[in-house]
Formats: sequence, structure tokens, C-alpha cells
Amino acid sequence: MTDLFANLWLGFSIAASPANLGFCLLGAFVGTLVGVLPGIGTVATVAMLLPITFGLPPVGALIMLAGIYYGAQYGGSTTSILVNIPGEATSVITCLDGHQMARQGRAGAALSIAAIGSFIAGCVSTVLVAALGVPLTSIALLFGPAEYFSLMVLGLIFAVVLAKGSVLKAIAMIVTGLLLSMVGSDLETGAGRMTFDIAELSDGIGFTNVAMGLFGFAEIIRNLEMSQESRDIVKGKIKGLMPTRQDLKDSAGAIARGTVLGSILGILPGGGAVVASFAAYTFEKRISKHPERFGHGAIQGVAAPESANNAAAQTSFIPLLTLGIPPNAVMALMVGAMTIHGIVPGPQVMTKQPELFWGMIASMWLGNLMLVIINLPLVGLWVTLLRVPYRLLFPSIIVFCCIGIYSINNSPTDVVIAAVFGLFGYWLVKHDFEPAPLVLAFVLGPLMEENLRRAMLIARGDATVFVTRPISAGLMFVAVSLLVLAMLPMIRKRRDEVFVE
Amino acid sequence: MSEGVKSSPSGGRFHFRVRGPRDFYGGLALIAMALIAMWATGELPGQQGFAFGPGTAPRIFAVLLAIIGALVALGGLLADGPPIEPYAVKGPAFVLVAILLFALMIRGVTITSLHLSVPPLGLVPSTFVAFMVSIMGSSEMRWVESLIAAVGMTIFCVLLFVYLLQLPFQLWPWV
Repeated sequence: MTDLFANLWLGFSIAASPANLGFCLLGAFVGTLVGVLPGIGTVATVAMLLPITFGLPPVGALIMLAGIYYGAQYGGSTTSILVNIPGEATSVITCLDGHQMARQGRAGAALSIAAIGSFIAGCVSTVLVAALGVPLTSIALLFGPAEYFSLMVLGLIFAVVLAKGSVLKAIAMIVTGLLLSMVGSDLETGAGRMTFDIAELSDGIGFTNVAMGLFGFAEIIRNLEMSQESRDIVKGKIKGLMPTRQDLKDSAGAIARGTVLGSILGILPGGGAVVASFAAYTFEKRISKHPERFGHGAIQGVAAPESANNAAAQTSFIPLLTLGIPPNAVMALMVGAMTIHGIVPGPQVMTKQPELFWGMIASMWLGNLMLVIINLPLVGLWVTLLRVPYRLLFPSIIVFCCIGIYSINNSPTDVVIAAVFGLFGYWLVKHDFEPAPLVLAFVLGPLMEENLRRAMLIARGDATVFVTRPISAGLMFVAVSLLVLAMLPMIRKRRDEVFVE
Repeated sequence: MSEGVKSSPSGGRFHFRVRGPRDFYGGLALIAMALIAMWATGELPGQQGFAFGPGTAPRIFAVLLAIIGALVALGGLLADGPPIEPYAVKGPAFVLVAILLFALMIRGVTITSLHLSVPPLGLVPSTFVAFMVSIMGSSEMRWVESLIAAVGMTIFCVLLFVYLLQLPFQLWPWV
């Protein structure tokens, strides 16, 4: 326990240095600024802003990126409360009650309860990350290639189970993502795989290009189809930013439950913030004495998902920092940023670079504080930004994405690849395929293949190694059970449909 | 929508009809992707002894994708699904062209097989052109306003990326 406080103290002494505080503040600010733009989600925001951290020292860069991440998420909530377009998947839920509250003239209360809920959730989960960091790192030492592989399988299954729509199609997206991740030179032999003799593909497809294409360009193309005049921005000046005592009393329980739910779901690979907000909202509605008020401006409907998604955003750092496995697309971008600064994510970060590890954890808490500080006074600025018509916003976003992608490697080919993935993403949406599992599989693909190959080599080609080693067997068992549970209703439904015929 | 499809007079039990076009054609496209992957990895060495070759894992996943694609397509034959939404052409086309123009202009490119040669034009013209072309994809575009916004955005990007972030960009064609 004393270790925990000593470590946190070390962290705060790093994160609270004026320079790092500045990076954190700047990150939270630009993150919110971009996150507020309609049609730009967290992943696209972080990917777009990645280049601006290149010139910083490693600790500063990661602190700023973490700030961007929280900012982007909070910006998304602001958009969904003030306009009826959710900026991203995590705020879809906030839209339901948040926008209703705004239409009833309670936008101020909704925004502040979202900020307060996020802050409380952030405080709790920061301590959780700090407390779980050490024990989980020691578990990581028990992990061999077989265990790593099984854990990633479990993560992908989570992503399948939690995806909207058909389980089969989500699995199809996973396999597509894995296949795409194998484009480029083979890790062991250096043989070019599926490169079609294009020199630029020999290094593989960059993750930022895929993310920008699927979450940035595709989203813009799709938004262009809808008439933008239907946007419903809250009119007039937002007043009464402070929630009333009654508001606070009403939402206290929701914030607490959202925090717990979000913290747990965030740790699971493949889970993350989206599911956390959905789960928290559903849970809150189920236990509420007045479920009929949900969807008509219930403050609990804002407090619970906002707390949950922030808690999950925080705890999703745990698998990355302890096991070196990115549990979602944003964390994959973090891996990219770490690699650029010469840091290999994994259990060794904590022992070899304690100032980086604990500095980042402390900056999470500071980042949340910054969000409260900058967002409440700056609401007016965000409203002004949201009044800019979409016909002017979307070309700006496109140009910004282009420059962002280009500046990562100074490569025009990357821009073209992102454009191709933009079209691909548009096609996926038309056929009800979810891009999120694809992206996660794309991220985990190389790690999975490496561990699979190593495990098979160590086991002398015996594939049963995944079910004979206890930890690996346990993970596989959970994965298979989850998949079966998810498939059951589908199979039954299909059978019914077939029998009706 | 699906009721409408159901009530339409269907042929015999074995009549072939696409009931869920989104799934059916989506599945077919997955199969096509899998086939391309199989073809592209066909010549890579596979398993040698206990060691995976470079071609092993991609081929496993390509086969898996083909199977799943077939199942998805089959689902589209057996179960009713919504029709495919029409694709917009104008918006995506302008956005795509804008992005491609940016990629071509920013550093210049020479593709001999296409007899195409673009000199490096720099950040300012690339940003401006990409903005103007993509804005034409919107049905609500207004010229004066767009030109002002394009100039503003170009100045903003130059200030942010070149002066504030110090990223190495060529600004003009002649520098």
C-alpha cells in the first residue's frame, strides 16, 4: 500500500511539472476541439493529432496523447448533448437523454453532470490502474506465447460478442482484419506477403491509415448523404451551468454504478468504452423506479454512460501497460506513439521506466481535472464551433486528415491507402458490417501471429498446447463459452425463420 | 420492408431468390477477397517441420474468410434482409478525388506507366485544392463562402503545422 502511494507520488511529481502540465492541458484542449466536430470520433481524433506530439520528449508526448484521448471523448459528449449527432460511438447513448435535456433548456446541467461524472469516474479508475498495475505485471511474467495468443483470441471474441448485429458478420470482420494485418514483410523470413509488388506495401499497411480511412473518411462520406439542415443545435445561450442539488442527488448513484461497470469493462480486451456506456445506460434504466423517464431527459441517462465510458477509457490502459496488448484502436495508436519514441509497451515499461509509467497514470487524473476546468467555461466556444455549417466543416476535416496522415511518414502513398479504406468503410456500412472488430483484429494480428508461431514451435507443432496449459485453457474456455452464448439466440432465430418457410 | 418481400408470391421451395441482398453480396465480396488473398500467398513457402512458414497463417485465414463469406452469403439466401441502400456517387467521388489530388500534389509524383508526372507543389496549393474539390461534393456548396473558407483553412494549416509544430513541409512549388 505504501508502495502505491510512493509510486503515485513519483507519478505526480513527473506529471505536475509545468511542462507536462502544459502538454496535458494542450492535449485536453485540442482533443476536445477536434472531438467536438460532428462526425469525428475518438480514434480519428487521436490519429489526426498524433503528428503534433512527435517533437516532444517521450513522457510529454504520451501525457499529451492521453490528454487528447480524454478530450476527444468529452468533446464527443458535448456534441451529442448540444446537437443530435453523436460525434462517435461512445456518445450515441448520451445523445438519448442528453439532447432531450438540452431541448428542455437544461443543456448546462447535462454538460456539467457529464463533466462531473467523468471526473469522479476518472479519479476512481486512476487509483484502480495504479493499484492493479503491479500485480498484473507479475501475472504477465507467467504468460508464455500460448497464453498471449489465447488472451488475444479472448479479446477478439469479446469484440465479436459486443458488436452490433450478426455474430457471423463480426467474425468475418475479425478474419478480414487479421488477413489485412498480414500484408507486408513476414516477421521471420522477410518474405513479402500480399504486397502485389508494390514497394510501399512491403512495410505493411499503417494502422493510422486504416483508422483514418474507416473512422474518418468513411464517416464523412456517409454524413454527406444526409441532409445537413436537419441538424438540431440548441438555440440561445446556455445558462445555469451548475447542476442543482437535486441533480447531484439524482445522479450520484448512477455515477457510482457507471464507474464500477466502466472500470470492469474497460480492462477486458476488446471491450472498452463503447460497451461500457451502453451497459451502464441499460443497467440504470432497468433498476430505475421511473424507467419511462429515460429517453426524455433523465439526468441518470447522462451521468451513468458518461462516467462509465470515462472509467473504461482509463482502465483500458491496463492491458496495454501491463501486458503490452492494445485492447482497442485508441490504445493501438498509443502503441504507435510509444514505438516512435523507442518504448516497447509491456510489463518491462513499469520496471525500466517507472517515471513514464507512473507519470502517465498521474496525468490521467490531471487530464480529467483539466477537462472539468476547460470545458465548463469554454462551452460557449464549442457551441460556436458547432454552429459552423457542416458543408464548411467537412472539407476542413478532410484536409486536416490528409496533412495528418502525410506528416506521419512523409508518405503520399499513406494518404492514398487511407482513401481506399475510406471507400471500403463506406461499403462496409452499406452491407451492415461493423468496422470496429476489423480494426481490433488488424491491431492484434501481428502480435497474434508471432505468438501463435512461437507457441507452435515451442510445443513442437502440437496444437493442443493451447488447451493443456492451464491459464491458456482457462482463457480459451471463456472465449468459447462467450461465443456459444452469443451464437445461441442467433441459431435459434435462424432455425425459426427456416422453419416458418 | 421485409413484410413486403415476404408477401410477394414466391416460387417453389427450391426457387433461388436473394432474400437478404446486403448479406448475400457482402458474403460474395468476402469470398472474392479470400480468393485474392489465396492467390497472392500461393507461392509463399508453407509449414516446414514444426515451424510456420510465411504463407501458413495468411492461407489459414484466407480459407477461414472464404468459409465465413459463404455462410454469410447463404444467410442472405435463406433469411429476409433489408435491401442495399443506394450508393451516393457525387459526395464520395469528390472526396476521393480531393484526397488523391492532395497525395499527388504534396510531394509530386512520377508514374511512368501512366505517363503521369506531377511536380512537387507544396502544402499551400495542395491544401487549397483539396479543400475546394472536396467542398464541391456537398450539395449545399456556395462559391464565395467556400473560397474564403479555403483560404482561411490553408492559412490555419500552414500556421499550425509549419510554424507552430515545425514539421518539415515545402510550402510553395518554387521553394
